[in-house]
Amino acid sequence: MNRLRAWFLAPTWTFVVTLFLAPLAIILGYSLLTRGVYGGITAPWTAESYQRLIDPIYLGILWRSLWIAGASTLLCLLLGFPLALFISRAEKHKNFYLGLVMLPFWTSFLVRTYAWMFLLRDTGLVNTILQKLGVIHSPVPLLYNDGAVILGLVYGYLPFTVLPLYATLERLDRTLLEAAADLGAKPWAALTRITIPLSAPGIRAGAILVFIPCLGAYLTPDLLGGGKSVMIGNLIQNQFTTARDWPFGSAVSLVLMALVMVLLFAIARGEGESLL
Amino acid sequence: MKRKARGTGLTVYAAGAFLFLHLPLLILAVFSFNSSRFTVWEGFSLRWYAGALRDTQLTDAALNSLIIAVVATAVSTIVGTLCAYGLWKRTSRPLAGSLYLSLVTPEIVTGISLLAFYQWIFRFLHVQLGMHTVILAHVSFSIAYVVIVVIARLRTVDPTLEEAALDLGANEWQAFRYVTLPAILPGVVAAALLAFTVSFDDYVITSLVAGVNSETLPMVIYAIARRGVNPVVNAISALIVVGFGSLVLISERLRTT
Amino acid sequence: MKINAVNRRYFLFGALAPLAACSRDHRPHLNILNWSAYIAPDTVPKFESALGVRVRYGTYESNEEMLARVMGGNSGWDIVFPTGYIVKPLLANDLVAPIHRELLPNLAELEPRFQHPDWDPTLHWSVPYMVTAAGIAYNRKLDPPPKSWADMWDARLRGRLTMLDDPFDTMGACLKKLGFSVNATDPAQLERGRAEAIRQKPLLRAYLNAEARDQLVSGDILAAHMWNTTAQQAMDSAPNVGFVYPSEGYAVYPDATVILRESKRPELAHQFINFLLRPDIAAANALTARTTTTNAGARKLLPPDFRDNPTLYPAADVVARGEWAVTLDPATQRLRDRLWTEIKAA
Repeated sequence: MNRLRAWFLAPTWTFVVTLFLAPLAIILGYSLLTRGVYGGITAPWTAESYQRLIDPIYLGILWRSLWIAGASTLLCLLLGFPLALFISRAEKHKNFYLGLVMLPFWTSFLVRTYAWMFLLRDTGLVNTILQKLGVIHSPVPLLYNDGAVILGLVYGYLPFTVLPLYATLERLDRTLLEAAADLGAKPWAALTRITIPLSAPGIRAGAILVFIPCLGAYLTPDLLGGGKSVMIGNLIQNQFTTARDWPFGSAVSLVLMALVMVLLFAIARGEGESLL
Repeated sequence: MKRKARGTGLTVYAAGAFLFLHLPLLILAVFSFNSSRFTVWEGFSLRWYAGALRDTQLTDAALNSLIIAVVATAVSTIVGTLCAYGLWKRTSRPLAGSLYLSLVTPEIVTGISLLAFYQWIFRFLHVQLGMHTVILAHVSFSIAYVVIVVIARLRTVDPTLEEAALDLGANEWQAFRYVTLPAILPGVVAAALLAFTVSFDDYVITSLVAGVNSETLPMVIYAIARRGVNPVVNAISALIVVGFGSLVLISERLRTT
Repeated sequence: MKINAVNRRYFLFGALAPLAACSRDHRPHLNILNWSAYIAPDTVPKFESALGVRVRYGTYESNEEMLARVMGGNSGWDIVFPTGYIVKPLLANDLVAPIHRELLPNLAELEPRFQHPDWDPTLHWSVPYMVTAAGIAYNRKLDPPPKSWADMWDARLRGRLTMLDDPFDTMGACLKKLGFSVNATDPAQLERGRAEAIRQKPLLRAYLNAEARDQLVSGDILAAHMWNTTAQQAMDSAPNVGFVYPSEGYAVYPDATVILRESKRPELAHQFINFLLRPDIAAANALTARTTTTNAGARKLLPPDFRDNPTLYPAADVVARGEWAVTLDPATQRLRDRLWTEIKAA
């Protein structure tokens, strides 16, 4: 078996080593080198890029990324939980509902982000309707701020909380709830003291699936934040394209990776059955 | 009585949530038929669709996206399925860990690291950025997705079936090919669909490693969208939504028959 | 319906073969990378049919974007159009192929002052293309209309204002507002410029280049830091858009055509540049892109109302306020790049 298994794993190992691990190693090297005058990489070796990071401007970006990702994750969990609850309690058509939740996921993320550009701009639908209803008199700037970015992220990643929450709620032992009712517990108490604690694995999985991509988000803050809502992903992209400061961009990338790994460790520790 | 009311409340909420998920895309599609470019309905028109289909940059990019997605899907599905099977037989901590890491690495980091890697390699091999660099990049990030889906499916397969085949004289390859593979085929198809979607839709990584002749559809959409709202993007978006929606529905149909 | 993995594989590869075949085009290729909206729509087709070649034409919105794409030396592009002050950095990174004047008989059509420009006196590396300048484009319903850079820091524009996503331009605007030169090298002046930019940021909607044009036309924004060519394009679409050269002064940029060293088709590239220097072609380009041409022969062919357009060919006193952008020394460039990252990140 070992011969066949070795052959089966070899292609993946090749891809992983050459197109994932080697590039990361290169980035690590670049982060410790110096930027050429107009871009590119030159000697000497230096930790200057990392030192530059300890500046209020960049710490501000880190803070903003954490809070936007955190708010988005929280909203996804809050909005996704009742939906997952509904689907898990549906008598029939469960797969249909799940399909309905996942359908937007199958369409392009770029398209879904653009949809909010279309709706939120000054001459967009939301402003037009609000003006027609007389709620406001001139367009309210709904786009190009942190709120629009959070909305875009929540819209994009909501399905990612619904699925794991549903998976956990589905396996919930209904008899526990019946027992609680028999003992006189109100439905709300049963929810908060039984259902929610028991769905902790689903909550953790959903949190990871949303928080980490949101932390490294690039497209959403770029299109919906209009360059005002700069997150870590935008900073990295900027350094590797127009700013041409590869050492600095590499340093920021590695800090982001470290952050992601720390968070994974903190949230997912003790998760017995892993995905792989 | 209370339980019934809560049930109704939950249903109302669910309806609202589904509306939230689908309404923006529906509105986008509706306005793709608007004859005016502004958000005031001025009449039904197909001019934006005509414009989109006439634009050679768009159609070239769509073709590129298709070619890249098909090739990347084919390669990553095969490589990933084999890997999933290998890991199912006996797990490999380093490989599983690396694959998991590649999943959680933010796209922007994957993209820039690949760009740096290609630029570094090009000092030795005089190859340029192009379709092949994009395809390789897509394969590399799709493999983890394929592995996850196929392994999930493998865990529902009874390992004793293979043992029985081996007892009956089959070799390991035959056991895989004729016993396990047919059993996990729906999972493999689902993984292929996921890989195709992820590849076709990718913007961040592709934009960094694409070359002169390998502009993809998301790159063109992004360039137009950056200038502001344009009904042509509405039209393309509607086509993408319908296209992928149908793909998913068809695959679901195939899966359950 | 049983589809096994092998059959699916063959089907996929079989479907790809004809696709791969039909993308093979046996004409000579030329890959040209230019600013967006900077050429007449029929220039490239005319060149393609005249010489029987296939052109791949890509666009960019900023010098930095172009630099990022060609810096590696293996981008695949043959011709790019850097602004004058970018030619030296391209040279420093060994990215430029020499120009062979004997292959460019139409060089004589250039205006005398562009036959020996500051950034390339012998035209050994580049050929002048067009001239642009940066100023303020605005919606005419603004009353009073903006007249100076200082007006772009006005709170009445909050959220409806864009500045150019260009380190040289935006820093230049800040420096001019403070009364310094756009080519300032003094770190103290540059730090003050940075402070001005960060002070302005809360008012900004975004840093946008040509992308701001559609937003200005549609009324989404009220004022934009804009190149005169883009502004003229906006004014053509909408009568409610105006343009002004700020009173404190402004930067002027000559754009040049350059052949990349990596190009495998330098002779064809020269032919394209020679084609661009034809007066009729240069005139058509200037007319479509709404720019100021460097081609004397083309200028004669321009219609009178275009030749006297105040945005593109302003009066002498306005011209006197303009300042040519020059290449800065490496240390200053490094400092400016770092300041720009800080401005964008703030």
